[in-house]
Amino acid sequence: MHTPDALIEFSDVDLSFSGVKIMENLSMTVHTGDKVILTGRSGCGKSSLLSLVLGFVEPDSGTILFDGAEVNGKNVWNIRKKVSFVDQDVSLGSGPVANLFEFASRLKANAHLDFRPHELMRFFDLHGILHKDLKELSGGERQRLAVVVSVLLGRSVFFLDEVTSSLDGNLKKKVAAYFLEKRDWTCLVVSHDPVWLENDSVRVFDFEEKVWRHRTSP
Amino acid sequence: METPDIPLINLAIAFLLFLIPVIISSRYGLGLLKPLFGSVARMTVQLGLIGIFLGYLFQWNNPFVNMGWLTVMIMVAVFSAIRHSSLRMDISFLPVFASFSLATLTVVFFLNYFVIPVKSVFDARYLVVLGGMLLGNSLRGNIVGISTFYERLREDSNHYLYILSLGATESEALMPYLRESVRLALKPTLASMATMGIVTLPGMMTGVILGGADPRVAIKYQVLIMIGIVTSTITSVVLTIILTKRVCMNRYGILRNDVFRKKTPVRKKT
Repeated sequence: MHTPDALIEFSDVDLSFSGVKIMENLSMTVHTGDKVILTGRSGCGKSSLLSLVLGFVEPDSGTILFDGAEVNGKNVWNIRKKVSFVDQDVSLGSGPVANLFEFASRLKANAHLDFRPHELMRFFDLHGILHKDLKELSGGERQRLAVVVSVLLGRSVFFLDEVTSSLDGNLKKKVAAYFLEKRDWTCLVVSHDPVWLENDSVRVFDFEEKVWRHRTSP
Repeated sequence: METPDIPLINLAIAFLLFLIPVIISSRYGLGLLKPLFGSVARMTVQLGLIGIFLGYLFQWNNPFVNMGWLTVMIMVAVFSAIRHSSLRMDISFLPVFASFSLATLTVVFFLNYFVIPVKSVFDARYLVVLGGMLLGNSLRGNIVGISTFYERLREDSNHYLYILSLGATESEALMPYLRESVRLALKPTLASMATMGIVTLPGMMTGVILGGADPRVAIKYQVLIMIGIVTSTITSVVLTIILTKRVCMNRYGILRNDVFRKKTPVRKKT
């Protein structure tokens, strides 16, 4: 059933890779403004949930709605313009950091944006990396850089796949708080970091059991 | 200047030169005797047959036969290009065939019509020989081009998906891969062109000069051939990628896993 403030709806979704079932009859709903933390052991299909909404993989059966419209080959291109995604490998490519900003800002979909990264980069402790090569950055630097890009895209839906795993304690908190404090933002977060759970606003979805959990104190 | 024909008996004497590699091979135990005889036999038979065949082709000089033979040459080139890539033949044959045909025919007809003072654009000497020259060269470029494009896209799939998630259209997302592939494909041609005349005296020119042509004429032909090669190579590489991607990508802009010959493991992490 489509409810007015439902942003993402999975109904009876089956998904398998090379014969291995990843999801069976998955149904769940994420509402606008929700902060959803997806938990469960690695390999249980948390990232696939994000990939399904972005049309990177297609379900074997079932339907996925985004903003009331079914995810298909036609409107997936619009969905990708509405969601900011950071993958768990932070695959930002190679070349100078400045080129990444330029590439992202020159895409037709982002032409309306004012791409000024400096303030955010300072906020996330990324000084003087603009002319470094992406391949030279540490894992933590790349994660924060990807976070900066995701925010600069000016979107209000965030898919964050393990974006704090390589950060130290303070930065983990800073990044998590940054997203969780924005009331209008919808965030789907895959993470094993307890910092994401230290906030009253989050809802926790146990992906192994496919059930919503009451938030437990870390 | 008339080209002196070489009597067959003289050609047979040329084969005596092979005594030297034979002696060297047995003296040093190189084990080259078998491959040497095999290759020499193949070369002789193949060239002999094609010599007889081209003789008839030039004699008939029938536009339909010439076009037919050029089509066969294009098909062989397409088979060879795809066999050297990792794509499946059944899926990619038509797009690659269309690309090779368009690139080769455009350049050949342009040269035959506007540049070379020849009566018919279908003249065997120019259609078949020039066409073959262009095909052979764009074939090399295409092998590099297709392989680089699809291999990079496959290895780099996480980054490609990230670009899509930034809001890129399919062409925006594929553009970096296209650029890289075309640049790599063109590299050898451009490099050899830059040293032409100094480091390399191309085989085509050697043949024409030995065949009795004035070096100044031979060089003019060489220049137009090089222009033709670069044009047909870059055109066919770009066209091949654009046309194959229509069948190799799905509506979601994702590379289909079943377009590759060998089954590839699913790379997407869960």
